[in-house]
Amino acid sequence: MTPLGREDVVAMLARFGDRDPADVPEELGSLELTWLVDQVERRYGVLLDLDDDVFAGMSTVTGAVAVLNESVGASDA
Amino acid sequence: MGGSTVSGTVTAEPAAGPWTGARLAALLLAGDATEDCLSFGRPVQRGELRTLVEEQAAALRAAGLGAGGVLAIQLPPSLAFVATLLAGWSLDARTVLLDHRLTETETGRALDRVGAQVVVTGVDVRAGRLRGYAEATAVAAPRPGGRPADSDHVLVQLSSGSTGASKVIARTAADLAAELDRYAALTAPAYPGRGERMVVLASVVHVLGLVGGLLRGLAAGVPLAFAERLTGDGILAAVAADPRPTTVLGVPFHAELLVAAAETAPGNLRGAIVAGELVRPGLPEAFRARLGVPLGTMYGMTEVGVIATDLDGTRHPALLPTLPVRLVDGELQVRRDSSPYLGLSDPTRWADGWLHTRDAADLDPGTGAVTIRGRLDSQVSIGGLKVDLTEVEQTLGALPGVAEVVVLHDADSGIEAYLALGPGGDPAAVEAAIVRELAAFKRPRRLRILDALPRTATNKVVRDLAALRRAAARTQETTDEH
Repeated sequence: MTPLGREDVVAMLARFGDRDPADVPEELGSLELTWLVDQVERRYGVLLDLDDDVFAGMSTVTGAVAVLNESVGASDA
Repeated sequence: MGGSTVSGTVTAEPAAGPWTGARLAALLLAGDATEDCLSFGRPVQRGELRTLVEEQAAALRAAGLGAGGVLAIQLPPSLAFVATLLAGWSLDARTVLLDHRLTETETGRALDRVGAQVVVTGVDVRAGRLRGYAEATAVAAPRPGGRPADSDHVLVQLSSGSTGASKVIARTAADLAAELDRYAALTAPAYPGRGERMVVLASVVHVLGLVGGLLRGLAAGVPLAFAERLTGDGILAAVAADPRPTTVLGVPFHAELLVAAAETAPGNLRGAIVAGELVRPGLPEAFRARLGVPLGTMYGMTEVGVIATDLDGTRHPALLPTLPVRLVDGELQVRRDSSPYLGLSDPTRWADGWLHTRDAADLDPGTGAVTIRGRLDSQVSIGGLKVDLTEVEQTLGALPGVAEVVVLHDADSGIEAYLALGPGGDPAAVEAAIVRELAAFKRPRRLRILDALPRTATNKVVRDLAALRRAAARTQETTDEH
């Protein structure tokens, strides 16, 4: 699997509401997180079973990149 | 057309007489025992639902609830929630719905205000952010210090209030039955009816999912499916799980997910209907282009339910009212004979038979259609959940150590809070207190602590987002330098 980069995550988030990538904030809200998980699942063809504790680590773009790479890697294994 | 209940015993006999909670429950539960009415991962037939409601009514009676009593339900959307709600009504009790995400502090305050005598919460709860419903076992407990209902309202919901305190919004069984009649009266296009089904993504704890989904579905014989996963693929899977013509009911975000997900829409998808917040320009067109079916919109309020609809998206952004409406100084007002607020006499919210929506709107004198333009007060919608920024600001301002605070909202970045601490104020303690005091959906997504908030020449705190962001960036630079 190709690791998910920060630019990939920002590009996915920018598609939510047709935003410019520059307008994607570092702090992520609940809807953005759901959107992001949806996008990542579709790209990698996986189902991510993330509990609320894991979601708590995804409140920023930086956190989301780390958690998603770990989760997608784990679901691939 | 309905069945009847006697002390929580549900039958399929017709009911008549004045509208009561028991009559409403009977209407909703009546019908063929083998008919599918709900699907929470598995189909639930009316006969099974009636049995669940009777069992729950027995548990509520055992906890001390009776006719005219006050029941508070704090369960996530689940089969247990549905059975408890209908059981409360079947006993002719007032049922108060509390969002399961409220903090302990918020819940305690709400229970005091509504005088709950019995509280139902969930154990063995299996929920999750991406799940469309929860699994939970309802547990009823008596609550000392409660008081009986002092009016015939059967449904009470609390809404974020712009004065800081929540509004207690109450509706009678007759009012809910009238709203069901309004759904039934919609024609060309009609609201989903018998022979069709709905996938309900909107929370059944709030008015859209509750009346437009749950109550309408049960009353009209429209089976309701709750999606296992609230992702685009999860929603499409729920639609495709049954071949009957299916309409999706949700908030605009769900339509965004569908537009992003659908390469081909299931052939039985009739369309989607969304409400709860304004739909962004271009979304209805994108939805139709991508899925080949319309995106309809509705507008309503907890206080009265559905107010106006455009079910097939042909009028967007205009909507046709289902209730008499008028414009006063640009504000939309809706006809409502009595005040929906308990314990509040506020003529700026309801007066002389008119409910003030606090939404700016245009009204077409030729067609009577309304177009909602946005809020006139400080309420914002986060994924369909209403949040009053004044309430958030007052809560933050009252925390120990906080000297001053400004809370603002930006469509892209969500709720932002800028605050300054007094002597000895501890940022970590403030952040912990926010988690205790405010439900997650009300919390600022961006919290910036400044040495002092910027002020105008007349010494008023600046409430301009760009200026506050600049001040926060300067504070950050100073911190980085040290």
